[in-house]
Amino acid sequence: MKPTGDSVSRVISGVPEATIDKSKREFLRAAMALLAGLNLPRTSLAGGGLHGTGGSGQRVVIVVFGGVRRAETFSPQGLVNIPHLSGDLLPQSLFYRDARNEGVTAHFNAISSMLTGNWQRVDDWGKLAPTTPTLFEQFRKGLGAAQSDTWVVASNKALTNLIGASSATDYGPMYGANVVFPKQLMVAAVANALRAGRSRNMADREKIEAELQSMLEAGNYEGLGWSVFDGAERLDPRVRATIEEAITSFVRSGGPTSGDELTFLVSREVMRKFSPRLLVVIFSDVEVAHFGSYAMHVGGIRTGDRLSYQMWQEIQANSEYKGKTTMVVMPEFGRDPDGSTTNGFFNHRGDTESTRGTWMMALGAAVEKPQIIERPIRHVDLCATLGDLLGCPPMDSQGVRLKELRG
Amino acid sequence: MTTQVQEKLPEELQDALDKGLLKRLPITFQPVTRQQLREWDTLFPYERQSILRLLLYLASLNEQQLAELFREVVQLEEKMGVRGWQFSTEEQTILNASLLARSRYYQEWRKAVQKVFDAADQQAGSEKSADAGGNRLILLIMPQVLPLERAKVWERWQGVGRPVRLDLAMSRESGSPAEVLLGGSSTGEGGRLLEVVSRRPNASSADCWVLDAGSNLVDCALRQEPSGAGAPSATLLSHERLATLRQNFSREVNSMRKDLADADAVFDRLRKADVTAWCPPEVAQVPVIREFLRSLYLSGNGALIFSNSFVEWSASEAFRRARPAFVMAQFGVRSKPKPFTSVAVFDNPDEVNPLPAVDDLPGSALDAQVLALYVWLAASRYDEYRRNTACLCIAESLSEAYIVAPPEFALWREAEPVTLDRLRATLTHWLA
Repeated sequence: MKPTGDSVSRVISGVPEATIDKSKREFLRAAMALLAGLNLPRTSLAGGGLHGTGGSGQRVVIVVFGGVRRAETFSPQGLVNIPHLSGDLLPQSLFYRDARNEGVTAHFNAISSMLTGNWQRVDDWGKLAPTTPTLFEQFRKGLGAAQSDTWVVASNKALTNLIGASSATDYGPMYGANVVFPKQLMVAAVANALRAGRSRNMADREKIEAELQSMLEAGNYEGLGWSVFDGAERLDPRVRATIEEAITSFVRSGGPTSGDELTFLVSREVMRKFSPRLLVVIFSDVEVAHFGSYAMHVGGIRTGDRLSYQMWQEIQANSEYKGKTTMVVMPEFGRDPDGSTTNGFFNHRGDTESTRGTWMMALGAAVEKPQIIERPIRHVDLCATLGDLLGCPPMDSQGVRLKELRG
Repeated sequence: MTTQVQEKLPEELQDALDKGLLKRLPITFQPVTRQQLREWDTLFPYERQSILRLLLYLASLNEQQLAELFREVVQLEEKMGVRGWQFSTEEQTILNASLLARSRYYQEWRKAVQKVFDAADQQAGSEKSADAGGNRLILLIMPQVLPLERAKVWERWQGVGRPVRLDLAMSRESGSPAEVLLGGSSTGEGGRLLEVVSRRPNASSADCWVLDAGSNLVDCALRQEPSGAGAPSATLLSHERLATLRQNFSREVNSMRKDLADADAVFDRLRKADVTAWCPPEVAQVPVIREFLRSLYLSGNGALIFSNSFVEWSASEAFRRARPAFVMAQFGVRSKPKPFTSVAVFDNPDEVNPLPAVDDLPGSALDAQVLALYVWLAASRYDEYRRNTACLCIAESLSEAYIVAPPEFALWREAEPVTLDRLRATLTHWLA
């Protein structure tokens, strides 16, 4: 489908352009102009090639965004919160306007459903692994990929390392991903400093860095929920150096200091040191919504928007990734509608369009041409599609392969 | 359920219970029903009426009618395999909620449960009238300190009401406009707002709520209470005055491991803890309000963390549980998240990080605008607030109020700036 003014308008609003204010109309015109210029097929696989053992040679980066409503993102009033996604990335993307979460709209189940291609209904506090194989396991078992090829870097406190592998027979942790929760490192460092009466350290950047480093030295990283390189007793020196680099950037940059910033920096270091072929990055600053600050929730969306763009820039700047990587950005679900009995944007428990309806953006190697897809897709469609891109054998999935993404 | 509490139940309800009503209910109906009966002493009058109506309706049905009413719920329970779950029939637990929520039949179950309540409501339709209890008033205050944009401040209300200009000059000498409205002169036209509601027949403190992100509004209300009168005539909740209760709750909640069983253990501890000593006097001496707060804090939604969330969620819960005639809710200011530590800990950031707290005025203003609308939306869900309710959201910094009200509300068509005196007189007249 060729993008037209009408279709772009439908992506972001679902309302006639005439009802959108002047500044937004101007934005739309600019977006349409960009789309028109980028409407030619790309030689997207140039520079591709095999890395490590088997597979297609393609790489996949999945950016999961937490729970965000269409109203605060791809809608006329939401565009202001996502200038990079809507302005920089939309014109070069394959954009699925209607991506639906038809499963349990809670974090562990939502993410494990995306990663397994089957709707999961396990303990939502991450005490039980997904019951069907994850994309990591399919990739590693099917293609003999190394563990260093598959990573999850996540901010979300509702996850555990069980997100990296399933309980399915013949699969499991031996084929699972490395899982790191950088925000948990920060939480533990703060708690540790508080317990030891060193809370004053939290006002001093150098001392914060020391507190974080000491958490790594303590060797209790498994207590942070991590599972890195088969859960060896000591953190692998390369992994540790990677995380130390990220911590240094996080603390010394003088930039923003949210959990998602640290997650991004760790992800970037993992890409630079290990070049995983399958990386899942899970942002969750937006989940401050559970505490009822709309301003901070919107701030989280803006952070996620910026970090998604920075992730794309990193892919373009990193020779291991450029030209052979598909990046997908997708919220876990929406949030409840204003006026709902579940207190609106605070939560994501409703069986409503606002809660279940999201969007998905794909960029890079598998995108033959920028398009806007109106056909509804489901979160479970992602796994089969990306598995196919990576060269995995066909998998048992409730999802269907998205034909617009080409390997 | 203990005998002690059963003795306090209305006779007709006790009779139905003695005849085994609870055993006839589906499993998933039992936790909430048993819990409410056990907590009868600390339910609001509206809640008591509501559960009484439901249970007496159920008791009035013969076996066949009851089976028909619950047919869908019971079928879904069987499909979900509830009997095989570790499901508490005594009280609502986090584990119960988690088990239900991850069932593939959860949404169908919710709809089936709602149908039962709808049937009971329909049956009781003739007994309750949406107009009963006279006019109602929701007064929302966005204080002077919050920076608001005149062009955008009411956008979210999508034209359900209209803005009216205010002349707030008088308040400069007598306190904030909100304090003037609440405090005012007891000798003026109609008396004070709180007095007007408390003079209504059968009025109780549950009919009148003052919710304050800070403390000045509740302090003002407390000054109106006659000294030595015991429990206040209104429900007065100040986020600031509840600091000790909040901190003790937060400490327990933050000790929770990421585990459903541990969460239930912590919640159980907090449900049983004697919180009286942690409460300010206006709460400590009113058991129903102490329990309201306990339940409010246990239900999350930011009430322990942010003052504006506390105001919004308290108001929403008050509408749901007490159907008050008058709610006055004042929003306030939160601090900006502190560098690094806000990643980890939201409660009591000053304990964690010695950097001075910095007010987030634009952020607080945005929070207040959204949450003020949410208060109105929460009320709008109930029949009682659909016809004879006036809602005024006052933007003090703009000298403007947004009014959603029936046409007979005196200021509905007002074109000229309204003085505080006139506004107060109009509001007291409306409530009177």
